[in-house]
Amino acid sequence: MAVQSLKIALAGNPNVGKSTIFNALTGSRQHVGNWPGKTVEKKEGRLHIDGQDLVVVDLPGTYSLTAYSAEEIISRDFIINEQPGAVVAVVDAANLERNLYLVTQLLELEVPVILALNMTDIARGRGLTIDAGKLSKRLNGAPVIETVGNSGIGVDALKAAIQKLAEPAGIDTVKIAYDDALEREIVPLTEAIQAIPELTAQYRPRWLAIKLLEDDSDITERLGEYTALLESAEAAAERIENTTGEDAETLITDGRYGFINAIVSGALTRPREALETTSDKIDRVLTHRYYGVPIFLLLMWVVFQFTANVSAPFLDWVDGLIGGPITTWAGSLLGVVGLGGTWVEALLIDGVIAGVGGVLVFVPVLMSLYLAIGVLEDSGYMARAAFVMDRVMRAMGLHGKSFLPMLVGFGCTVPAVYATRTLENEDDRKLTGFLVTFMSCGARLPVYVVIGAAFFGASSGNLIFGMYLLGIAVALLTGWALKRTVYRNKPPQPFVMELPPYRAPRLRDVWRQTWERTSSFVRKAGTIILASSIVIWLLMAIPINGNGSFNDVAPEDSVFGTVAEVASPVFAPAGFGEWQASGSLITGFVAKEVIIGTMSQIYVGAADEAETTESTPTLLEDLSGIGTSFIEASILTVQEVVNIVPRTVNILPGINMAEANFLGTGGEEDDTTSLEAALTQVFTPLTALAFTVFVLLYTPCMVTVAAMRHEFGTRFMLYQIAYTFIIAWLAATVVYQIGTLIGWGG
Amino acid sequence: MASQLREVLNRFGDQSAPVSLNHMARDMQIAPGVLDGMIAYWVRKGKLREVGNTGDNCNTCGVKSGCPFIIAMPRYYELVRDDDADTIPPCGCGGSCGV
Repeated sequence: MAVQSLKIALAGNPNVGKSTIFNALTGSRQHVGNWPGKTVEKKEGRLHIDGQDLVVVDLPGTYSLTAYSAEEIISRDFIINEQPGAVVAVVDAANLERNLYLVTQLLELEVPVILALNMTDIARGRGLTIDAGKLSKRLNGAPVIETVGNSGIGVDALKAAIQKLAEPAGIDTVKIAYDDALEREIVPLTEAIQAIPELTAQYRPRWLAIKLLEDDSDITERLGEYTALLESAEAAAERIENTTGEDAETLITDGRYGFINAIVSGALTRPREALETTSDKIDRVLTHRYYGVPIFLLLMWVVFQFTANVSAPFLDWVDGLIGGPITTWAGSLLGVVGLGGTWVEALLIDGVIAGVGGVLVFVPVLMSLYLAIGVLEDSGYMARAAFVMDRVMRAMGLHGKSFLPMLVGFGCTVPAVYATRTLENEDDRKLTGFLVTFMSCGARLPVYVVIGAAFFGASSGNLIFGMYLLGIAVALLTGWALKRTVYRNKPPQPFVMELPPYRAPRLRDVWRQTWERTSSFVRKAGTIILASSIVIWLLMAIPINGNGSFNDVAPEDSVFGTVAEVASPVFAPAGFGEWQASGSLITGFVAKEVIIGTMSQIYVGAADEAETTESTPTLLEDLSGIGTSFIEASILTVQEVVNIVPRTVNILPGINMAEANFLGTGGEEDDTTSLEAALTQVFTPLTALAFTVFVLLYTPCMVTVAAMRHEFGTRFMLYQIAYTFIIAWLAATVVYQIGTLIGWGG
Repeated sequence: MASQLREVLNRFGDQSAPVSLNHMARDMQIAPGVLDGMIAYWVRKGKLREVGNTGDNCNTCGVKSGCPFIIAMPRYYELVRDDDADTIPPCGCGGSCGV
C-alpha cells in the first residue's frame, strides 16, 4: 500500500501574497483544478524536503472561517477532514491585526500553525517593527517566519519550519480564553460533545462548541440529528445573551479581537506618524468643517476658469476650421459632382456642418472640463466632496450621500439618476432624482461658453462657475422644500467613508478618463445631434404658410419657425420671446447640445447670408492657415494654463500679479466664433443671461426623462418635467425683470 | 462595558457627521485593518450596510462598455435602521430590469 504524503495547507486573507509563497514552495510541481462540487480553484503542489514528500494545498483566500462563503467552508472543511500536518498562515505583515483574525480561527481548530509574516519589506517601509520572537512566544512557540514572497526571502526558513512541524511530535496549540460568561457555557457544551464519539472522531470538541454558540448555519445543519445537543447550545446562547446583553457570536468575535490585541501588544510597534498619515493631515484642512466648503468652491472656480480659458484658443481654432476650410471644401466638392447650389448643398452645409460642426466646436471645452475633473478624481479629492458637502446638505435636511449622484450629474444626468440607487429609502431616491437634474451636465456647458464668450469676455469663467453654483443652490432649495412637504421621512444619518489616500494624479489614467468622456460627446455628435440637425434643417426647409418653396423659404415661414413662433410668447417675460430662441430650447429636449447646433443653424446661417463674399483661398493657403493657427492655438493654450496661477492669486484683494502674454498680443484681436458674433446681434447681455439660466434649469433631455420614468415611474417623470420647466421659467423671468428694473445689461 | 465590536456599532449610531474610516480607527485606537474587519462583521450581521457605486448597469444611452461619467467613489458604510429592511430594492426600477 502506498504511503500517503503528509499534507500542508496554505491559508491566508486575499491579496497577501499566498500564491507567491505557494509557488516558491512548490516550484513547477503544481496541479490546478476545482474543489469538488465548487467553482472555486484548487491548487496543489509537491514539496520535497530532505527526502520527505509533502503535498501543499493552497486554500482559498478568506478573512475568516465562518460559514458565510463557499471559500470559508472549503477551507475549514479541508482542515477538519484532511487534518493537515500543519497550516502555513500567510499574513500581510503591514496589516497584521486584521490578518491575525483568520489565525485565531485556525488555532481554534487545534491545528499546528506556522505564521509566515509576508511582505515584511512593505511593513518595514511603513515603519512597522514586528518582534517575531515575541509573537512566536505568545503563540505558544508556533514558528513565526519573516518572508518576502517576491524575492524568496525566508522561504528556506519556512521550509525548515514546515519540516520540523510536520514531524509527528505534535504541538501544543494556543487556547483562546473567552469572557467568563462564554467560558461558563463553552466548557459544559464541550463536555457534552466529548460524550458523543461520532462527533469527536470528526471535530475538535471545543471548536464545535464555539461554532454551535455562534449559531454557525453550516454546522447546525450538519448536526441536525443531534437535537438534544442543538437545544443545549441554543439554551446556552440564550443564557449568554440574557447575562451579557450581547449575542454569543458578537462576544466570541470580540474575544478573538481581544486575543489579537494581547498577542501583538509589545510585539508590534508603529511609528507615531503612522497614526496620522500625510493624507490625514491634508484632510484636516481640505475636509475641515469650516474651510472645507470654501476650498471646494475655490477648486470648482479654478476648474471652470481652466475650462473656459484654457480651451478658448482651440475652440477658436476648431471653429475656424469648421466654418472655414471644411465648409469651403464641402461646397467645392459638391460643386465638382454637380450638386452645388442644390438642396443637397444646403442640407450638408447649413444642416449637417452648421449643426454637428457647431457642437463639435466645443470638444476642446469638454475635454478641458473632463481633464480638470479627472485630475481631482485621480488625486482622491473628488471622493471627499460628499464628505465636505455633507454639512451643507444636512443643514437643508438632505443626505450627504445625495451629493454623490449630484456629482455624477456634472458629467451626465442619466447615470446620476441611476446613481440614486445608492440611497436605501425610496423617498430619498426620488428626492435626489429631483435634484440631480439641476446639476449642470456637460452638454449644457457649450451654451454657457458661447454666451460667456460673446457677452462676458474675460469673466466667462465666472459665468460658468455661477451657473454651476446656481444649479447646486436651486437643487438644495428644492430639496429643502420637498423634504418639508412631500418627502417628510427620517432625518439623514451620517456615514463612515473609506477615504482613499491622496496621490499625484496618474497622467495615463486621467487621460484615459478624459478621452472616454470626450469620445462619448463626439459619438453623440455623430448620432443624435447629426439626426437632429437633419430633421431641424428639413423642418426649416419646408414652408407652411404658402410662402416660398422647399429649401427656399424664410425661416419664420418654415414648419420649424412657425411651431417655434407659437411657443415663443411663453418666453417673452424672460426676455427671449423670439422664435429662434424658443425653437432652440424646444430642440434641447432631444439633447442639450442640440441647442447649440440649432442656434448655429438658425443664427449663423442668417448671419452668413448677410455677409459679403470674400475671395476663396486656395487649398495651399487653407492648409497653411490651419497649421499656423494650430501652432498659435497651442502657444495660447500653454499661456492660459500658466495664467491660471495669476488669475487665482488675483482673487485676493490688493494683489495684481501680471499675466503671461507669449505672443505679445494686446487682446484686441477678434477671437470670437461665428455663433458668438451672431448672438451679439440678437441678444443683450441681460437676455443672454436669462436664456442661460433657463437652459441650466429647464426640463432635462429625453434620455434623462426616460431614465426618470424607468426609475421612479410616469407620474414622477411628469411632475419632474413640469417642475423643472416652471422653476426655469420663473428664474429666467426674475433675472430678466430685475435686470430691466435696475437698468442692467439692456 | 460594551465590547469593542459593539462600540463600533454605537459610534455609527452616535456620530452627528460623516467620518472617515481612518479617523474612526484613530479615535478608537485600533488599526484601520481591524476596524475594517469589525465593520465587515456588522455588515454580515445586517447591522451596517456597505454602499458602493451603482449606475454602471445604466445602458440607456447605448454605451455598452460602461458609462464614462460614473465617478469612482470609495466604499462607505451606514447603519441599517430597523425600519429600513422593507425599503431597500434590488435596484431602483422595482424589479422590471431584472437585476
